Amino acid sequence: MPVLTKAMVPSAVATGGSTRVKARVAAKFKKGDKVRTLNLNPLGHTRLPRYVRDKVGVIETDHGVFVFPDTSAHGKGEKPQRVYTVRFKAREVFGPSAGAKDSIYADLWDDYLERA
Amino acid sequence: MNGVHDLGGMQGLGPVNPETDEPVFHAPWERLAFAVMISVFAGGNYNVDEFRHAIERMSPADYLSTSYYEHWLHAMETLLIEKGAIKESELAAKWAKLGKGGA
Repeated sequence: MPVLTKAMVPSAVATGGSTRVKARVAAKFKKGDKVRTLNLNPLGHTRLPRYVRDKVGVIETDHGVFVFPDTSAHGKGEKPQRVYTVRFKAREVFGPSAGAKDSIYADLWDDYLERA
Repeated sequence: MNGVHDLGGMQGLGPVNPETDEPVFHAPWERLAFAVMISVFAGGNYNVDEFRHAIERMSPADYLSTSYYEHWLHAMETLLIEKGAIKESELAAKWAKLGKGGA
């Protein structure tokens, strides 16, 4: 079993164990693309928050390739894919009581998104 | 999963009041929990996604009434038992001993 050595501690504490991977996976979307989040309600783990399901937003940043948490949490492999920051208008998410100029940003995996 | 952890947009929890000069740890045991967590993680017992999911599986009432590092401790216990690294009976015996002032 691997052991945490003294030399490993600084990076382990600083990165918190990033799940970025080196695999080359093509991006389905690019900055400026309009996307809709899927309405997923899995019994297992997901990092798609409830309040941004079935909402329309715009790709703001492509962060590169990361492990897919929804499979990784259940021993179903890393399924590496792109993670994007997606910008949603606050009113798209929380309706007319939200600020007209406000936006909500969420970091979301390719498998949560479809073209809008 | 649609767990209590997914708090975005939920109302009634009161204002967010960050502490001024917040200490990294609020009690000595939290310092220990942090060190043990990093070691157990580096030992390859589970990945970070399994860890998050273990926290999400806490009972909603427990989740809301316990602290950040109590969530960590809960997840460590859950996963180490599920992965067979420790036995539930061993953990129960240790807790019982601690309850009597042992260490």
